Amino acid sequence: MKNIFKLFVAAVSVSALTACNNLFDDIYDKPQEIVPAKGQVIIDATSWTDWYYVDLNRLHQLSLEGNEEELFKAQTEFEAYSIPMEATGDRVDTPTPGEENSTITQGKKPGQYMYWFDVFGAGIKNNTFSHFTPTAEQAAPDDWSFAVHRNNVRTNGGAVFETTYTSMTQLPESSEAFKNMKFVEDEWTENEVWDSQEQMLLGYVPSQGIAINRVLSSWLSMEIPPMPPTFSLNNHVFILRLKDGTYAALQLENYLAPNGTKCYLTINYKYPY
Amino acid sequence: MTLQKRIMQKQIFFSILIAGVACLSSSAQDAYTDTIYRKFDLDEVVVTGTRTPKFLKDTPIQTRVINAKEIARLDATNVQDLLQQELPGVEFTYAMNQQTHLNFSGFGGQGVLFLVDGERLAGETMDDVDFTRLSMDNVERIEIVKGAASALYGSNATGGVINIITKKSQKPVTLNVNARYAKHDEQRYGGTFGLNGKHWNNMFTVNFNRMDNYDVHSASNPVTRIISTVYGDKTINFKDQLVWSPNKNFHLSGRAGYFFRETVRSADQPERYRDFSGGLGMQWNISEHDDFQASYAFDQYDKSDYQRITKLDIRDYSNVQNSLRLLYNHRFDRGDVLTIGSDFMHDYLYNTNLENETRNQNSWDLFGQYDWRISDQWEAVGAVRYDYFSDGKESHVTPKLNVCYKPIYNLSIRAGYGMGFRAPTLKEKYYNFDMAGIWIVEGNANLKSEVSHNFNLSAEYTKGHYNLTGSVYYNKVKNKLATSAPYFKTPIDKLPYLPYANLDDYSVCGGEIGAQAKWNNGFGARLTYAYTKEQLAKDKDGHTINNQYIPAREHSLNARVDFDKQLSKKYGLNIALQGRVLSGVENVEYKDYYDVSKGTITVEYPAYTIWKLSVVQRVGNAVKVTAALDNVFGYKPKYYYLNSPITDGVNFQIGMSIDIDKLF
Repeated sequence: MKNIFKLFVAAVSVSALTACNNLFDDIYDKPQEIVPAKGQVIIDATSWTDWYYVDLNRLHQLSLEGNEEELFKAQTEFEAYSIPMEATGDRVDTPTPGEENSTITQGKKPGQYMYWFDVFGAGIKNNTFSHFTPTAEQAAPDDWSFAVHRNNVRTNGGAVFETTYTSMTQLPESSEAFKNMKFVEDEWTENEVWDSQEQMLLGYVPSQGIAINRVLSSWLSMEIPPMPPTFSLNNHVFILRLKDGTYAALQLENYLAPNGTKCYLTINYKYPY
Repeated sequence: MTLQKRIMQKQIFFSILIAGVACLSSSAQDAYTDTIYRKFDLDEVVVTGTRTPKFLKDTPIQTRVINAKEIARLDATNVQDLLQQELPGVEFTYAMNQQTHLNFSGFGGQGVLFLVDGERLAGETMDDVDFTRLSMDNVERIEIVKGAASALYGSNATGGVINIITKKSQKPVTLNVNARYAKHDEQRYGGTFGLNGKHWNNMFTVNFNRMDNYDVHSASNPVTRIISTVYGDKTINFKDQLVWSPNKNFHLSGRAGYFFRETVRSADQPERYRDFSGGLGMQWNISEHDDFQASYAFDQYDKSDYQRITKLDIRDYSNVQNSLRLLYNHRFDRGDVLTIGSDFMHDYLYNTNLENETRNQNSWDLFGQYDWRISDQWEAVGAVRYDYFSDGKESHVTPKLNVCYKPIYNLSIRAGYGMGFRAPTLKEKYYNFDMAGIWIVEGNANLKSEVSHNFNLSAEYTKGHYNLTGSVYYNKVKNKLATSAPYFKTPIDKLPYLPYANLDDYSVCGGEIGAQAKWNNGFGARLTYAYTKEQLAKDKDGHTINNQYIPAREHSLNARVDFDKQLSKKYGLNIALQGRVLSGVENVEYKDYYDVSKGTITVEYPAYTIWKLSVVQRVGNAVKVTAALDNVFGYKPKYYYLNSPITDGVNFQIGMSIDIDKLF
C-alpha cells in the first residue's frame, strides 16, 4: 500500500512540478535602475536619520568641464550627514513657560522633539509636544545649495517660490520673470522632520528641531490618515534663490525607487537660471 | 427490499446525479418565490456536505443554500455583499491595514474554505481570499456548511465551507445584460451569454464594477484605530466555461477566467490584483452504480503596484496553485454511497517579503466516505482523510461522522462531529516583513497545524407555510495560528518582531435559530438569530495577548419581510425590507505595543443596525428594474472603527436586468 502511495505521489509530483508557475510575466515590468538624465540628480533619501546635500554650483562646474564621470557621480552619490541623536543635556518635559501653545516650545534649540501624533485617529495634524532632548547642531558640508531628508527640504540661506509650471521646458528663458515674486525662506520646525518610527505605533514620533523650507518641501507631502501614510507629488517647478543671489529651477520628477520605496528622489534642476 | 423499491431508489439516485451534474437552473421561474414557497426547495440538489449530489432534504450535513433568486433579490455585487445581508454571525470588517477580513462565526478568513465549483482559490491578503473576485453574476447557488469539514476538504475547512456553484446554460440561447448605479459613482455592468446544443454547452460571463474612494468622518477622541477613507475600486471579471457531452454519461469541460482589480490608496502607486484561472474536467457515469470525476485546476493570483510616474507595473506577489482531483462514487442497491477521492496540489508563492522570495510546496491527500442509509429514518455518513504536506513533511488524519434522523417526514435532526485542520501557510512559515517600520512580521518554520474539533446538533421542521431551524455547535481549537506578542530579540533592536505562533487552545460555541414563513397572499418573512461566543486565545504561557482581528459579535440577527406578487401577466412586484442587528463587542488590545508587560486594555466596539428597502419590478418575462435604499434609516457610525459598517448614510441604488433572449 505504501508503495502505491509513493508511486502516486511521484506521478502527480512530476506532472505538477512541471506545471506553470509565475506565468504572465510579460504583462509586468521589471524594476529598472533609474539613470539620471542631463540636469537631474537621483538621491536615495529613504533614510529616516540622514540629510543629503546638493551643491548646484559644483554640478554646474562639472558640467562646464565636461567631466562626465565626475558629473555622473555628483548626480547620483551623496554623502549621508546623520541627524545628531546623542543627548547633550537633560530631557525637558514641558514647553518653555509662556510658549505653551506656540509651535516653538524650546526657543529653537537644536535637538530631538518628541511629539504625540494622532496617527490612528484624527491624523497627524492633531499633535502635542511631549518632551525635548538637546543635541548637537546638524552637520553640513562647506558648500551646498539645498538638502533633503525624506520629504523635507532645507536651503542654505536661500528662499523659494512655487511656480505654476509643470515642466522645466516651459519655463521662461531666465529667472527675471520671478524676481518680484514672494520668495519664502526656511522656517523653524520641531515636528516635521520625523527621524524615527520606533514608537509610531503609540503615536510618538521624534523630530529634529531645524529650519526647513516649507514651500520647497511641498513637492512631496505625506498624509496620515490614512494609515499606512500616503505620499503625493506636487510636480510644479520651484525657483530657488540662493544666498549668493543666483537662481535655480527645481522640480521633483519622481519619489519612488525602482522597487516602489518612497523618498527615492529624482530631481530636475536648472542652474544657473 | 422489494425489486420495485430498489428500482425506485436507483431512479432517485440517478436523478440526483443528473441534477447535480447539470446544476439545474431555477431561473426559469420568474417570481421571487422563497425556498419555502416551493415546498422549501426540498428538490434542490446540494453537493458540498458530502461531495456527492444529494437533495437538500436528505443531506445529513446541515447546509444553508442561497439560490439564484435570492441572490438576484438581494442585488448583491459580490459574495461579501451577499453573505452579510443574508447570514447572521457573518461579519466583514477591516484588518489593521484596511484590507477586508471575514469573521465567520468565530473563524477568520483562513478558517473558512471558499470554493468555486469545488475548486480552491489562490491568493490571500491578511488571511482572506479576495472577495471581490467572487462576483454574483452567473451564480446558481451558494452552499454554506458550517463546522469542520477537513475530512472532505483538507486544510482550512476548520470553521466551514462556502461553495459557490456557477450556472450552466439550459436553453439553446440565453443572453442577459444588467447594470446598476449607486452613490459614489458606483457603476456595475454585467452580461452572460449562454449556448446549449445537443453536445455542447457554453457560458460566458463578464462584469465590471467601479466605485470612487470617499472620506468618512468620525467624532473626536476615538478609543482605538479609525478609518478616514473608504477605498472604492475597479474590477473586471471574465469567465467562460465550455462543456462537451458526446453522450449523457460522459462530459468534458474546460474553463478559463480572468480577474482584475485596481484600488487607489496612493494616486501615484495604485494597487493591482489579477487572477488567471483555468481548468479541465471530466465526468464519467460509468454505470448506474458508478461514476468517476477527474479535474485539473490552475489558479494564479498576482499583486502588483503600478508606478504611475514611470508607467511601470511591478509585481510583488504571486500565488499559483496547480491541482489535480480524482473522485469515484459507487452507489449500492440499498442506497448507500461509497466515495473515494484523492487530490494533489502544487502551491507556489512568490512574495518580495518572503525569505528567499519564493517557496513551493506539494500536498496530496486520500479520502474515503461511506454514506449509510440505515433506514428511512436514519442515515449516517462517515469520512476519513489523510493529508500530506511536503514542507515540513507534515501529515494529518482527519475523521468526520454525521447522523441524520427523521422521526417524521417534516422533521430532520442532524448531529455530527468533524475534525478540521489548517496547515500553516508558506507565508506564516517564511514571512519577513518590515511593516512600515512599525514591527517586523516574522514567519516561523516550526509552526504546527491548527486543529479544530467541531460538535454540532441541528433540527429543521417544516409545516405548511412555516419552516423552523435551530442549531448549536461547539468548537475546540488547538494550536491556533496567529501572530503572537511582539518582542525584541536583542536589547539593541530598534523594531520589535511580531512572530507567527501557535497559540493556546480556545473555543468557539454558539447556535442559531431561524424562522421563515411564506403565505399565499404574497407576504413572506424570515428571522434568523445567531449567538457566537468566541473565547479569545492566549499564548502558550497563558498570557492574554492582543487579538489579531476583532472577535465575533455575540448576538446578531438578520430579518426580512417581503411582498411578492405577479399582479398581471406582464407585471410583477417584489418589495422587501431587510436588515441586520449586531451587538457590541469587546476586544483585548495592548496598552503599549513596545512593552507588552504593561498589559492589555479592553476596547468596546458599539452595536449597530442597518436596513435596506428594495423594490423589484418585473416587466414581461425579460425586464427587471430594481430600486433600493440601502441603509434606509441613514445610520452613520460616530466612529468609523475597523468593524463599523461601511456607509456614509442612505445609498440609493437603481438597476436594470434584461434577458434579451426572452424579448423575442
